Amino acid sequence: MRKTLWYAMAIAMIVLATSWISRRVLAASTPSVQVQLSTENVQPREVEDATETAVLRDYKLAWANLASAMEQNRADLLDQSFVGFAKERFGQAIAEQKKDGLRRRYVDHGHKVEAVFYSYDGSALQLKDVAKVEVELLDGSKVVATQPVTISYMVLMTPAENSWKVRDLEAVPGF
Amino acid sequence: MIRKLLLSTMVVAGCWFAASAANAQGLQVPKTQPAGQELRISGVNGTAYVFGPATAFKAKANGELVITSDQLRAAGMYTVVSDGNSGTFFVVADKASNVAFLARPSRVATAKTGVISGTGFVLDKFNNLVMQPTPVKFSLAVPGTPAETRSETSKNGVAFVRMDSGKKSGAAQFVAAVDDTEVRRVVTQTAADPCNIRFKAEPSKDGIHVVTDPIKDCSGNAVPDGTIVTFTETDQKGRSTVDARIKKGFAEAELPNEGSANLSVASGVVIGNEIHWGGK
Repeated sequence: MRKTLWYAMAIAMIVLATSWISRRVLAASTPSVQVQLSTENVQPREVEDATETAVLRDYKLAWANLASAMEQNRADLLDQSFVGFAKERFGQAIAEQKKDGLRRRYVDHGHKVEAVFYSYDGSALQLKDVAKVEVELLDGSKVVATQPVTISYMVLMTPAENSWKVRDLEAVPGF
Repeated sequence: MIRKLLLSTMVVAGCWFAASAANAQGLQVPKTQPAGQELRISGVNGTAYVFGPATAFKAKANGELVITSDQLRAAGMYTVVSDGNSGTFFVVADKASNVAFLARPSRVATAKTGVISGTGFVLDKFNNLVMQPTPVKFSLAVPGTPAETRSETSKNGVAFVRMDSGKKSGAAQFVAAVDDTEVRRVVTQTAADPCNIRFKAEPSKDGIHVVTDPIKDCSGNAVPDGTIVTFTETDQKGRSTVDARIKKGFAEAELPNEGSANLSVASGVVIGNEIHWGGK
């Protein structure tokens, strides 16, 4: 009976370890980002279905691009998804990282996003994002710290020629 | 054997958790810090790392780490790491001192309800979005007329308004103001459709000369030059039309004189008077 219990505990630990390792490996190799977008409480106008689809697609892409840019220290990877203040600031961070041999690695566990403002003329969309994103801070290849997993972001997106781009992405203490 | 392996795994896991907990206690940093203000963190020795939304650097500290005001301009989350300890704090926007203003459309007809929209993003001097509710004053006026004014309080850094176009045509000044800062956009208000069209006809050398009275919208604004006015002549042979553009406020044209005919005028959806020409 006692032996069976020990075997059960051993199996449980192996399963947990395997799941943890596979999640890490998947997160590092898969650029796909999980985003749940809710537009029910947006003001002052509704978000059209086509716009919602486009925003969801482009917001996921923005996080994938941000992760690649920060890990590879390549500001050019921001161009596809970021404009204005966001592009300027992340670009500056990348330049400074590069200078000191630092990097950031994003392990994305998903985002719960709520649209809160969509302008009358459709030229600006504001989102609240509760993101489960682990950010590993690296000096060369050594992880020096890991930032908290759940972070609240205030996001501003604006339409470009054929996509939505992130104009502001600001971590806030809470909503 | 398995029992020993499990026990050692559990001991290792316990140590790992203890180490993590010790690290989590971390450095003594404030929870929030105003943007653009220097921060001194004591108890930092050796190599320290600072990661923020617009910064990332490595520094040597000897008991105190100084992060300069320039390095803390961007609002967002910052992490400081030193000797295996870390601390996280948020830089929050300074007081509102600027507004980014989107106004649409750039050209609009006069006297239309809710056709002009404005969105103001409230920013501090470092262009961080100010989350605290802040009054934003919007005003819209063609020079020489009283302004339509509205005050809206921002939510999550955004204030918006929808306004009617004025009765007078011209370049309306659409202004968003936060504190002493004003941002101005121009919305050109043009005359709406003609209110009514009246024309007269008189014989000329080549036929019938038709000319309208000055064409205005219902608010009394002259309909812009270039607007098409159509004159129609209907007689026994059929119908002939001439399109003329408004020039200096009125439109004129020459129609063939075929004897008895009905003459009419229209512009867009507005139909003017009719004149019966010649015959009995």
